[in-house]
Amino acid sequence: MLFLSFKRGALTSFGVIACVAVLGVLASSAVGSIGSPPARAARTISLNESGHLHRTSSSGLKLNEQGSASGTIHGTIYIHLNVVSPSRVTAEVNIYPSGGSLTGSSSASYRVNGGTASFSGKMSIKRGTGTYSHAHGSGLSFSGTIQRLSGSVTVHLSGNMTI
Amino acid sequence: MSHLSRIGAVTAALLVCCWAPATAGAVQAVTLHTSFSPDKLGASTTVGFSFTITNASGGLPSPLTGLSLHLPAGINYVATTLGLSICQPAALLAKGLAGCSPNSRLGFGSALVEVPFGTGSGHEIPEIQALMGPPHNGNIVVLFYANGQEPVYAQIVFQGELVAGSNALGGDLNAAIPLIPSVTNGPPVSILNVESTIGPSHLTYYKHVHGKKVAFHPRGVSVPLRCPRGGFPFSANFSFLDGTSTAAATVVPCPPQRRR
Repeated sequence: MLFLSFKRGALTSFGVIACVAVLGVLASSAVGSIGSPPARAARTISLNESGHLHRTSSSGLKLNEQGSASGTIHGTIYIHLNVVSPSRVTAEVNIYPSGGSLTGSSSASYRVNGGTASFSGKMSIKRGTGTYSHAHGSGLSFSGTIQRLSGSVTVHLSGNMTI
Repeated sequence: MSHLSRIGAVTAALLVCCWAPATAGAVQAVTLHTSFSPDKLGASTTVGFSFTITNASGGLPSPLTGLSLHLPAGINYVATTLGLSICQPAALLAKGLAGCSPNSRLGFGSALVEVPFGTGSGHEIPEIQALMGPPHNGNIVVLFYANGQEPVYAQIVFQGELVAGSNALGGDLNAAIPLIPSVTNGPPVSILNVESTIGPSHLTYYKHVHGKKVAFHPRGVSVPLRCPRGGFPFSANFSFLDGTSTAAATVVPCPPQRRR
């Protein structure tokens, strides 16, 4: 048998070399984790999302909506709309895709046209968690339509985000 | 001067003589009254407003040509379901209220006008309707439809534009008032009094539920959540044909506080 043909001394030498090699790798890993982290390549994602939401509650000038987002990423979406003037809304948007979350904010123009109201503006991705913990982006297009009677909302979000 | 020219000049002089005294030197005074019904913080409400125009020096006031109503801050007219349909002014003018969806109605009222050759006691235009018009520059537009039959026969549509104010959800409702002819090619009438509402009171809307048409009451604008000291301030500027303008102000009292 091949294994048995090795001499004791040769095996010992091989073991020492192997241990040194393993220790070397471990040491370099340890140094790496304490000093400069391994470079994490930032990735740009082109978002193109649609969301369909229903009203969960409203208080004064604030509308809270929940629904599902689909497109580049999929997940539950929450929007908190705050009507700050007859022609302007601010919005906080939270999306919970698999493995993390994204939070963005927007200021948008707002207009009523009969049974619908529409908003259109820009959004910034402010923070994220999990897979999206380094997410950021600005100038994303954000628009939507509110059905005034039912309170349901459709939104569209598009633009680049870096994670 | 030719014979015809003389007749024309005399006629013109007579017209000036007969029209002018009614409003010449008029200094209009306006009283404004507004209300919330119900008057409850944060509640859906019907806003009532009325104004009365008098000539301080006697006679008829000059015809009204413009109105700007300043709404108090905090009135929430975003959550309202009033005005779910758009009424087109041409359809309103052609067919009256039947030309527009019931879901475009915002309120209603009446007016009292006087013709220059009248007794001074005024004649009622019994029907004034307020409807949601096509937005202009992104602003909400309120169409007013006045339907007079006797003695002032006039169907008039004019619009007010709700312009955002500097205060949160305040704003101005600005309307240019057309002159209402007393008779064909005759002098315009003077508006003495207008009463109107904007709100769900006495309005019925319709929606389709599982293929059935179901009546419901729309949600009105909401009374602000906080009442400023002294009440909710309304004010208005009025412009008149004689080039003068005047302002009026009023408050809606704060609702009584609930005892806990």
